[in-house]
Amino acid sequence: MIAAYPDIRVESSSLVVNSASDAVDSATETVSDHDLMLAVRDGDLAALGDLFERHHGPLFGFLVKLTGHRNAAEDIAQTVFQRMLKYRHTYRDDGSFTAWMYHLGRRCAADHFRKSNAAPAPTDPANLQDHADETPHAGDRAATRDDHALLHFALGRLDRDDREVLLLSRFQELSFAEVAAILECSVGAAKVRAHRALRQLRDTYFKLQKEKLT
Amino acid sequence: MNCTEAQERFADVLDGRLPEAGTAEVRTHLASCPDCQREYSSLAQTLVELDALPAAKPGPALRQNFYAMLEEEKNSAASIAAAAARHRHHTRASVWRWILAPAGAGVLALGGFLLGSRYAQPVPGAGMDPATKQELADLRARVDSVGQMVGISLLQQRSTSERLQSVLATLDQKNPDQKVISDLIGSLALDPSTNVRLSALDALYPHAGQPIVRSGVLATLPREQNPLVQVAMIDFLVAARDREAVPELERIVRNETADRVVRDAAQRGLAQL
Ligand SMILES: [Zn+2]
Repeated sequence: MIAAYPDIRVESSSLVVNSASDAVDSATETVSDHDLMLAVRDGDLAALGDLFERHHGPLFGFLVKLTGHRNAAEDIAQTVFQRMLKYRHTYRDDGSFTAWMYHLGRRCAADHFRKSNAAPAPTDPANLQDHADETPHAGDRAATRDDHALLHFALGRLDRDDREVLLLSRFQELSFAEVAAILECSVGAAKVRAHRALRQLRDTYFKLQKEKLT
Repeated sequence: MNCTEAQERFADVLDGRLPEAGTAEVRTHLASCPDCQREYSSLAQTLVELDALPAAKPGPALRQNFYAMLEEEKNSAASIAAAAARHRHHTRASVWRWILAPAGAGVLALGGFLLGSRYAQPVPGAGMDPATKQELADLRARVDSVGQMVGISLLQQRSTSERLQSVLATLDQKNPDQKVISDLIGSLALDPSTNVRLSALDALYPHAGQPIVRSGVLATLPREQNPLVQVAMIDFLVAARDREAVPELERIVRNETADRVVRDAAQRGLAQL
């Protein structure tokens, strides 16, 4: 399954440490993800701990949106880091860590669904909201939370492939070339698919909002 | 630019990663087309809300499991490295101790013959650690001091059928100890009977996973004269996936005086290794 990966030849961007990973100290912040992963590959396994701290949050968030299930997302995220360890020797000198991580995430999610032999059930918004960050705008919190629930539900109604391409296309730290490499399609195809998925999401979301009002 | 053309470019406008210059035409159309404005703003609104969706946070188990897994991998990586180092040392040095330990003077002769055959050839000394070199030097000194002694192994003092019985008896032991294993290697190396040597080799198969067994078979191969036993040894080493056998197999393939059947077996073995 790793065989497909060498197509990803995008330069490693020196990624900004995601705000979600507050545990990163200033010493590791200066080392790029790419250099950390090269260190892991060369036997410094502890460096994977730094990468975990930086990225497990966003990865988990992506997987929850993709699968609609917290438990599945935790299992898959765990498997992703397991495979990073197992296949560390395949990480390339010209690799991009984030692209690799989401590539593995996508594959692990696909394996997960093949194994459980079940398409993801539509997201249960209540389940997700329990653990979501609270929005800081207290004034219209109720309305916002309602909208979030509807949008989650609308996301759950998309085909998994569409949901995947749409979510990946919104990661600003991934270039479209990287998104395309992760999805193993051309940049043009990735853009078309992402936009089609967005229109579908919009249609469902707006329809749900209208139903709620009436 | 018409509405269709403009809407086909919406993806580019909505994607923050593209330079604005490339989308000027679309923006111009948007400014003057209420239909497209509605379409565009609904998509933009959906994206803004999608980006604003609060990210779920993982429970503590994910971190705990990750670090547990990392520790386990660190330990196994360390133990694999240690095992590899042990293995390298073992196969180069200790095989002599195993072969020599059990049987006194006769075994010294065996050491002499093994040294004579294997190490009279250019010795690949580069990969040897100082301890191994020292051990080999000590062995040579001991063998030299005994001179060209022709030893009689303890095994040879019994009849062929008795020796065969003692070899076959080891097959019934599920976990024979190292003494038994080294006796089997001794039989394979020394016994004058082809049958006993072949039986000893068969009895060693279940233990091919042990480096000492593979090293012992490899060490006796150069002195074996019977093509039947030679082929059986080659098959054994290939089945055990012993890469250390490669140089010896290459030597056999190059050796024009060797039996055709043996050279073919070595050739086949090299292809599989
Ligand atoms: Zn228009």
